[in-house]
Amino acid sequence: MLVKVKSIANRGMQTFGVDVEVNISNRGIPGLEIVGLADKSVAESRDRVKTAFQNSGLQFPNKKITINLAPADLNKEGSFYDLPIAAGLICVLLEVPVPENSLFFGELSFDGSLRHTKGSFLLSLYAKENNCNTVFVPSSCAKEAASIGGLSVYGVKNLSSLIDHLLGKKPIQEYNGSVLNDGENIDREVSEYNYVVGQEQAKRALQICAAGGHNLIMIGPPGSGKTMIAKSINSIIPDLSDEESIEVTKIYSLVGKIPPNFGLLKKRPFRSPHHTISYAGMVGGGNNPVPGEITLAHRGVLFMDEFSEFSRQVIESLRQPLENGKITVSRSRFSVEFPSRFILIASSNPCPCGFYGDPNHQCTCTENKIKNYRAKLSGPILDRIDIHINVLPVEKKLLIKDSSLGLDETLDFIKNKVANTRLIQQKRFKDEKIFTNSEIANSQIDKFCSFGEGAKRLLEQAIDAYCLSARAYFKIIRVARTIADLDEKSDIEINHIAEAVQYRSKFFL
Amino acid sequence: MAGAVNYTDTAYPKMLLQIPSPPKKLYFKGNYSEKIFENSLAVVGSRKMSPYGERALEKIFSTLSPEITIVSGFMHGVDAEAHRKALKFGLNTIAVMPCGVDLVHPGDQKNLYEEIVSKGLVISEYDGYFEPKVWTYPRRNRVVAGLSRAVLVIEAALNSGSLITARMAHSFGREVFVVPGSIFSDLNSGKVQISNEFAKTIDSGSYINKYFNLNCTGNMLKENKMDGNEILNYLKSTPMTIDDLKKQFPEKDISQISAEITLLTMNNLVVEREGIFYAG
Repeated sequence: MLVKVKSIANRGMQTFGVDVEVNISNRGIPGLEIVGLADKSVAESRDRVKTAFQNSGLQFPNKKITINLAPADLNKEGSFYDLPIAAGLICVLLEVPVPENSLFFGELSFDGSLRHTKGSFLLSLYAKENNCNTVFVPSSCAKEAASIGGLSVYGVKNLSSLIDHLLGKKPIQEYNGSVLNDGENIDREVSEYNYVVGQEQAKRALQICAAGGHNLIMIGPPGSGKTMIAKSINSIIPDLSDEESIEVTKIYSLVGKIPPNFGLLKKRPFRSPHHTISYAGMVGGGNNPVPGEITLAHRGVLFMDEFSEFSRQVIESLRQPLENGKITVSRSRFSVEFPSRFILIASSNPCPCGFYGDPNHQCTCTENKIKNYRAKLSGPILDRIDIHINVLPVEKKLLIKDSSLGLDETLDFIKNKVANTRLIQQKRFKDEKIFTNSEIANSQIDKFCSFGEGAKRLLEQAIDAYCLSARAYFKIIRVARTIADLDEKSDIEINHIAEAVQYRSKFFL
Repeated sequence: MAGAVNYTDTAYPKMLLQIPSPPKKLYFKGNYSEKIFENSLAVVGSRKMSPYGERALEKIFSTLSPEITIVSGFMHGVDAEAHRKALKFGLNTIAVMPCGVDLVHPGDQKNLYEEIVSKGLVISEYDGYFEPKVWTYPRRNRVVAGLSRAVLVIEAALNSGSLITARMAHSFGREVFVVPGSIFSDLNSGKVQISNEFAKTIDSGSYINKYFNLNCTGNMLKENKMDGNEILNYLKSTPMTIDDLKKQFPEKDISQISAEITLLTMNNLVVEREGIFYAG
């Protein structure tokens, strides 16, 4: 006897439908076999399902059972085929019809209960696009699966409750709770913007960077507060828009970073990989590629502390994402694309010992060492960073007594200002495919950046005075555009240009 | 123009003949003339120049008479910057190499080498592409000191090569000038030592002009309409970061201060090094 249960398979960010075909035959050697390019985690499903059946008070049939995962030429991996296989077996054994237009998804535990399983958000997205109106997922994933909306989501607690539901004895309650989280995002450290003492210039740069989506690099000796400044961007950056929220939740669901009973992510992600990270860890990798840090930072912030300590390969891998907002991971048989549009915040010491230019310490590096150290930073990546600032240590006496210094602009005020600036940009770019000023292409500069009296002339003078390149010219305009937006001015004025010039690239020898 | 002069030739630099063991032969590349050696000032200092050293060079060179020729050793740091600033302010410059005259050493300063060949002079007591050796550096220092009527020490730690050159110049009977520096920096301790013995402390090129009996007319900093700026007045007493300025002027926005600083910098009234602003 044969039944078909629907489920999915993921390759990169793409989801494909999979039919789980369960056949029980009276002839042949008793046992359970899974075919259809299943990897180890799927094959082991056999033992989980068997044991869960026994522990749920069901007799596991002593017959030849064959399970086919179709299409048979697509690699399947993951533990979530447990539920579709179990559901198929139940339907055959108890002779009940398989629910129509329904997708099954979830990992079984030996005791028959369902474990939290990664990827349920991708399941709902697939269901919605393919007119399947019902999904069965582990109960702890129900909120995640329901957060897309418009689906009947059944949170299955254990096999017995599924049996009762299928028999119509005691239906499972459809999930109808809230899909929003009130808590913080997962995995995100926040240091309050207001608690950063002093460092007024850095904080201002952070505002511009949060408002306009510009990349930022901070150069300064150890202990000057670069890390704290970077983390404080979380407290001023606006939440994800609905569209962005779906993109981010999808990524986090795929890698299993959404905790039980969590719905749509609203806060922007903040990733700070350690500098020993491998290439695959950064861009994503594996046989069936999984996203790396740059994709986890999508629509959020990628903070690279000690930027020059990262391997050259890792630094160079940032080129494509910084340019196109996506990364392509190629395998011999296929390639996958992951989204990766993030704000890059990098920090670095000025030299290997860290004290070059520090008024209070002597730098002990040889001049060649400094040169090599900086050579790693220069070039194409630095060209894509709009804002460059020096961060010097805060005087200790300031730390002790004058904690009110940073409070002249309250946090809410700045938050509103940044959010407002984002709104201005949204209006400006409503007919374009971009969201922020940092994405304005050189060819669009004339269209979106109008200059007030004398501003253009000042910019030209600055280009001469500082011997700036053409690229620097466009960078200054983009930053000045954001500064003007923060000021709620439609034209870029002299003081906007003059301020933007302060954030130009100065980091070379 | 490339070639060589023997120490018996009349074109051989006169100053160099006065030292105990002058090079038998000098190879050169560039604009060789007897006049280039007339008012020669050697500039020595650390290979790792501090922002202060660079600014000191800028300030002193901007007030030097254009008759003066800057002699230095073409190393990284103060040497190279001295050559660059000399070219910037239209002074003559001579690079004395520790290697063959055709070899660019250090190799990454090829552009500077070529500019000196076209506008100044490169000399060495070694021919062709002879590689530098440990012992050629002190011998080169002897030529630097010997060629010059005076030596200017920009930065020198105790027991540094710059200090050795300065002492050598003193033993040849040449004048030694030093620029003062912070007592907290190692790069200044050598200067303190020699200024207690024989060197003269200066804060402007006019002392050097006077020593050479030259009048300086050009290169003087011009007055500017932003001279009365309050930020500029503050910077004149102490170098500051933008954050320091914010503390001094709490009523001004950080964006306003940034903007004003840019305008001051563009008018050459302020310079920035590693995030700190100095009145120029």
